[in-house]
Amino acid sequence: MTFRTRLLWIVTVAVVASVGLVEWLVARTTRDAFERAETQRVNALVAQSQREFARRGEAVVRAVQAVAASEAALNIALASDYAPYYSEASALASANGLDLLELVAGDGSIISSAEWPARFGYKEDWLANTGDWKARGAFLRREELGDGYTLAMAAVGEARAGDRVVYVAGGQRLDRDFLSTLVLPEGMRVLLYRNFAAPFSPPELIGPTGPEAQPALLMPLIEEVRRNPREVDQTVGSGTSAEIFHARPLLGSANELLGVLLVGSSRRDLVQMETSLRNIGVVLGAGGILIGIALSWWATARVTRPVRVLAESAQKVAAGNWDTTVEVGPEDEIGQLARAFNRMTQELVAQRERLVQAERVAAWRELARRLAHELKNPLFPLQITVENMQRARAQAPEQFDEVFREGTGTLLAELANLKQIIGRFSDFSKMPAPQKQTLDMNELVTGTIKFFEPQFASAHIAAKTDLAPHLPPISADPEQMTRVLRNLVLNAIDAMPQGGVLLVKTAARNGGIHMEIADSGQGLTPEECDRLFTPYYTTKTHGTGLGLAIVQSVISDHQGRIWVESQPGKGTAFRIDLG
Amino acid sequence: MFLRWFALLSAAVVWAQAATRPHYGGTLRVEVEASIETADPPQAGPGMADLSGAFSVTRWEGGRVAIYSANEDAPGGRPYLDSVEIQMGRPLREQAIDLELKKADVADLGPNEARRAVASRKIWASAPVRLLALVFSERILDARLREALALAVDRSAIHNVLLQRQGEIAGALLPQWISGHAFLFPTAADAARARGLTAALPPPSRALTLSFEAPALRPIAERIALNARDAGLAVSVSQRNAGADIRLVEERIADAQPWRALTSLAVALGLPQPVRADSPEDLYSAERALLESFRVIPLFHLPDVYGVNPRVKGGPGITPLGRWRFSDLWLETVRP
Repeated sequence: MTFRTRLLWIVTVAVVASVGLVEWLVARTTRDAFERAETQRVNALVAQSQREFARRGEAVVRAVQAVAASEAALNIALASDYAPYYSEASALASANGLDLLELVAGDGSIISSAEWPARFGYKEDWLANTGDWKARGAFLRREELGDGYTLAMAAVGEARAGDRVVYVAGGQRLDRDFLSTLVLPEGMRVLLYRNFAAPFSPPELIGPTGPEAQPALLMPLIEEVRRNPREVDQTVGSGTSAEIFHARPLLGSANELLGVLLVGSSRRDLVQMETSLRNIGVVLGAGGILIGIALSWWATARVTRPVRVLAESAQKVAAGNWDTTVEVGPEDEIGQLARAFNRMTQELVAQRERLVQAERVAAWRELARRLAHELKNPLFPLQITVENMQRARAQAPEQFDEVFREGTGTLLAELANLKQIIGRFSDFSKMPAPQKQTLDMNELVTGTIKFFEPQFASAHIAAKTDLAPHLPPISADPEQMTRVLRNLVLNAIDAMPQGGVLLVKTAARNGGIHMEIADSGQGLTPEECDRLFTPYYTTKTHGTGLGLAIVQSVISDHQGRIWVESQPGKGTAFRIDLG
Repeated sequence: MFLRWFALLSAAVVWAQAATRPHYGGTLRVEVEASIETADPPQAGPGMADLSGAFSVTRWEGGRVAIYSANEDAPGGRPYLDSVEIQMGRPLREQAIDLELKKADVADLGPNEARRAVASRKIWASAPVRLLALVFSERILDARLREALALAVDRSAIHNVLLQRQGEIAGALLPQWISGHAFLFPTAADAARARGLTAALPPPSRALTLSFEAPALRPIAERIALNARDAGLAVSVSQRNAGADIRLVEERIADAQPWRALTSLAVALGLPQPVRADSPEDLYSAERALLESFRVIPLFHLPDVYGVNPRVKGGPGITPLGRWRFSDLWLETVRP
């Protein structure tokens, strides 16, 4: 990952994190505000429902007291026989707006029942056993009907005629009609669970329009209130259908749980607001991120451009273009770095020129030394031969002819030697361009090894080959390649004066070939390895020092690569890659 | 002074003679709760069929109205009334109002209306000739179930309150005035024993359906269901349910002769025909044999009760068996 990419990532992450944090803070703050408003709304409705309960209770008390104070109730109280009045309750209930009404004799026997007419004569002992009903006011009661139970806001009045009393027990049902009278703001609703049976009974959960469609959602909340009758708030459902419910237990006169009033407030607005905020946040965030990326791109480009230029310049220098310079920017760290780089390249160029000059001088000296050495060797026999011939002429003329004949032979041989030395130097100076053709390197290796078999035998060298069976043919000059192989084999023979093993290996590699010529000689030091391909450098007592230079020149002309690997005492291996 | 007193006395005597002397003419307006929705007038009594002979039908709209006109050639002579107009399907409450407003001359009276009318109004009542009973379906095989319901029903409360003590509590098919031994059949409720019987029954069999025909019978049916609940039975009530387990039925006793009355009731209630009984002991045994399976539970014997406009004279217009006898009636004032 480049420095620029890394910088871009850092800036982008920072922008995304910042936008996300702001979005989260806004969403949370707004959500808290809505939650508070929601709680206030629910509390207001709960208070309203409580007021409505109280109002209903007062209305029931008034209606019951009106019945108790009516002439009809008085007549019943005065009657010696209640039978004629068994249907009175229905009319009285209807006239006084009561859903439920029972007229009960002083002994607790039902005289007339509006809600269950057939119950006349049955006992309502709870009426006769309780004390002052006037002070009692309204209370919640579970009333049994012919077809089940109902929950009612009830009150009891007394119609007295002397010592005779008739109880008037009336009430209004708490049912969907009651719920429909509660005025609710938009998004709120009220439900009533009538706790008539031990297990949760879905049909008993009703709303203003009838049984609740999804009672199972509210079952946990209701069960919690049933276990522990207290007010509980709970969120029910999810997404836009989520509602927060306030559950209020409805207790009877003996503190028994008769029902649960549930005030629900839809969270749709909150969820929609959250969704809107999220969407806006996503849009703003995306915009911010894009702008941030663009800005960071621009900023990183500005910051990293000098660094990139420096890196490119360094790569040019590494490639050999040492006179590369970079543009010096402002007086900052990058500018200082650019100046340092320019100084470094200038210094490198100067050092290279000095090195080149030194090497050139060294090469000339080496050449002079080598030439002097090469030429001195034949010159000394020439001088000796001529002096012998002069001495023979002067001291033993009878032997002069023989000495002359031998001397001229020697002179010609040494002159030929001189000519050969000069030819070698001439060959190196004018290396011809390779004449490439398709070449099987394995075949060339085999031929070269065979060519040197006599020398191997006399030098006690075991020549081995390890040739790849399906070596691809290469495009190369056979003559120059033959020269390369022979030079390397000759070097190996020279490196093993006491005999040894020569191993030549070929292998296919990267679409080309790889070749290795290794000997088991005494090896080379690292310094020798470094200078091995330098012209006129040799570790031998004979030779011109041009062999490996020529080899490297040929390989280079074939776009190949040659290098040497060696350690003292462990032999030397020349490795060649050819395309 | 004497002449004046004489004149006044003479006028009073003439008025009294005019009030008790039969008049010819006029239309007797009758309202009944029953609604006979047939194409032709009924041919068997009691009720409109009893008018045949003295009257002949001149207009018939089944379920709504029937008009009978006096038959000039009636065997006992022409009736005093010119015609009898009968409105059918009138609710008891509306009949009572019409009677109060003198829009009707004769109207059915239910128990409540009869109670209210006793003090102030003229009443015609037959002997208890209608048997109110529970009849079990053939598929209710367990006699314990039937006996439990028979023991559960509190006849006394129903008689006192719903029937306003009209008629008689019945444990027998025949009323006391016909058989003379009806009091021998038990009528008292015994909820504890009923619960004991139902406790031995499997719960599914304790759920029963009870059907009734006339709307006026609903309170009685619902009370029976409540009594049954006390005995551990779950009885649901519905009107005109042909597939019900129990039916609350009303059967009329059309004959005062005990054995014929018992036979006709047995046939009507789906009971086996009783053996011929010429002695009171045989009749008692025959009736007891019919009831010992609890297939039929007699509840009450009820009379036919009519409220009558005081202008209707010459009555009562019904026999002890509830048959109409309008041929001797006349109206005190003939309306134009």
